[in-house]
Amino acid sequence: MKKTMKIYFISFIVGIVILIFLYASIMTFVKNPEIVNLPYYTFRSLLRITIAYIFSLIFGLSFGILASTNKKFSAIITPTFDILQSIPILGYFPAAIMIIIAVIPGTIGLELASIFLLFTSMVWSIFFGVVGAAKCIPVNILDAAKSFGIKGFQFVRHVMIPAIMPAIISGSFLAWCDGWFFMIAAEYITYSGQVHSLPGLGSFLAKSAYLYNDTNLAITILILITFLVIFINYLTWHRLTEKASGYIPLIKLGFFTVPSYKKHKKKHFSLQFKFRHKIFPKFKMKVYSIHQRIISFVIVIVIFFFVIFSIMRKIPTVEVIKKVLFVPEIVNLPIYTFFTLSRLTIAYFIALTIAIIMGILAAEKKKFAMIFYPLYDIGQAVPILALFPILFIYFSQIFGGRLGLEITAITMLVLDMIWYMFLNITVAVKNIPDEIREVSKIYSFKGMKRISHIILPAILPAIVTGSILAWGTGWNTVIFSEYMTSGKEVLSIPGLGSFLDKEGYEEGNTILLIFILFIISSIVIIMEKFVWRKLLVKTEKYETEV
Amino acid sequence: MALLEVKNITKSFTNEKKILVLENISFDVNDDEFLAIVGPSGCGKSTLLRIIAGLEILDSGSVLFHGKPLMAPIPEIAMVFQQFGLLPWKTVLENIELPLEMHGLSKKEREERATRFVKDVGLEDFKDIYPHGLSGGMKQRVGIARALALEPEILLMDEPFSSLDALTAETLRKEVLDIWNDKTNVSNTFIMVTHSIEEAVFMADRVIVLSSRPGRILNDVKINIHRPRVKYQRSKKFFRYVDQIKSLITKDIKTP
Repeated sequence: MKKTMKIYFISFIVGIVILIFLYASIMTFVKNPEIVNLPYYTFRSLLRITIAYIFSLIFGLSFGILASTNKKFSAIITPTFDILQSIPILGYFPAAIMIIIAVIPGTIGLELASIFLLFTSMVWSIFFGVVGAAKCIPVNILDAAKSFGIKGFQFVRHVMIPAIMPAIISGSFLAWCDGWFFMIAAEYITYSGQVHSLPGLGSFLAKSAYLYNDTNLAITILILITFLVIFINYLTWHRLTEKASGYIPLIKLGFFTVPSYKKHKKKHFSLQFKFRHKIFPKFKMKVYSIHQRIISFVIVIVIFFFVIFSIMRKIPTVEVIKKVLFVPEIVNLPIYTFFTLSRLTIAYFIALTIAIIMGILAAEKKKFAMIFYPLYDIGQAVPILALFPILFIYFSQIFGGRLGLEITAITMLVLDMIWYMFLNITVAVKNIPDEIREVSKIYSFKGMKRISHIILPAILPAIVTGSILAWGTGWNTVIFSEYMTSGKEVLSIPGLGSFLDKEGYEEGNTILLIFILFIISSIVIIMEKFVWRKLLVKTEKYETEV
Repeated sequence: MALLEVKNITKSFTNEKKILVLENISFDVNDDEFLAIVGPSGCGKSTLLRIIAGLEILDSGSVLFHGKPLMAPIPEIAMVFQQFGLLPWKTVLENIELPLEMHGLSKKEREERATRFVKDVGLEDFKDIYPHGLSGGMKQRVGIARALALEPEILLMDEPFSSLDALTAETLRKEVLDIWNDKTNVSNTFIMVTHSIEEAVFMADRVIVLSSRPGRILNDVKINIHRPRVKYQRSKKFFRYVDQIKSLITKDIKTP
């Protein structure tokens, strides 16, 4: 048996032993009427996420390959998907539940809705990973393939699939983590004023916090979930990444592996390896032609109208739209937008400051790396949304309901955003070419001089990348955490997210819901166009890719 | 009839503006010939080679192989790339076998042929290694073996030695000449693009000199030096050829 295989085998056995021990001790010591179901809940959660993953893989892979081999298809599908993925998933979840329940009522409908939510959270990372990697196959390989007559299906098999394999693995890893992230939202569903919980770890966590008021149990389940996430990630994606590394050089960073961008830039094909918190937005920030934009916009509008139609079972006329759109609360929309944006901005700057300090320290000083990398490994594995009930109970005891919820929302945003920026920054510092480091040594740049002239300019592109990702995930978190329902009571803080959740979950006002979604997506797209793209172009010239 | 006839080729690229790269190029290549194409950088010499390989579409003119127009890549004309173009996820042997599979050879035939050519370029000990474990010179040997394994009539080489260090390049040049000289070999017509005039004079029977963009043929120089040319590398005659070609190119660049 090879050495790496041995390591995996041993970790597998040790992991299983720890899991059995964990389950046994939790089930003996915790007094809770539902605790006997813990293994069953684990199984159901795993099953749900696996089914969603398989669907996303099939969908993302086939559409991704189609989009990168067929120009006409790509011209329509890529910008459409780009718009769709810019809409926060938790924003359209209420609408999705309504449609699915309308078609298939009962538990099966709820189960399908939850799988649908997980699917939409997973599929984009695989699709865009595949398309991005396919774009990066070097010209010399494409030329060689063409000149030796490798085309059609053979091209997909011998060139395309192996070339995008790293992207499939890392996209899958990303998708899998996103699935865990949304787990609690997918299992603990509010629908027409009532809470429905599907059997699973996420709903059990929520119930133990809200229903049983047992914070200790909630924390225990969170730790269990985190351990499961790390364990499964290590055995699957980590293993696959190492297997694929037969032809890609990798550098170690903490527990998991990040490919080296530094030394092998020229020699190697697609290093557009996606990591959980590291996507290259260059492809996503693609400029589309006017035609493409119009077509994709029309498609998205058609999808929305189809959604409204299937819920209302009639074509939405102007009167109908007027009636549901002009609810008294609509005048608060600007102030809600302001509140939500403020929350995001405050959290963003806190996260940014901490991430820059942590990122530079981790990349430059071994001592800090030994603390921060393991912290990252654990921090990124914690499904942030699952922290919500725990943090809320904790903060509401100290600060009271409303303020507690406000602080919970911002804390969650910080915890969610920080890793995206940390990873990008630390990798960027590590990737500063040796020559530039030597230049700074020879001309004795030290301390602040070194940071302001060498490090900061070098990490600017990484900060922009990290920020885009952080804001993307932040929208979901903010929608989720502005609105709290325990089944018995409802608490909310003013904002777009709580407005959306209220209209969706309590009133079932789909048209208003879609209108709010439209506003959120517009903000996302406007920020992308006027803030991130500008910054990206500006910082591009600093990129230290040799 | 010449083996390969290039007739009045014109080629342009359209990016933002239309840029003419090659203008009215015509020449013949005979069987058994070693032809080199030189010219200043950006003169379209690589494009010319890619046209012969069937990788580019022409604006006007034609390329005839055995008198028949060439439209797409064919196994009778194989190519060696400057950046090697090896598939990183296939071993040395698999890289050589893949084109053979595409052209319908049986598994047994493929293995036999790939093993033979991997031996010819001296890499039998490395046949199960992935490209990223090889040095540049070794990679180019794989590139050459992959092309030769198709047993093409014409071998095209696009700056095959310019990604290699000087010593490796020198060794590999001699090896390529040995392959070309080997009369048991099916492939005996070589066309090479290079920016090194010395390399062209050292290796080729004929050197086609292109002007700067748009590329036109400045001259077609026949190199009359006995082979093997290693001992004539320092001779007056050798340098006369080098100087002749060099002055053609510099004159062309000076006159706007």
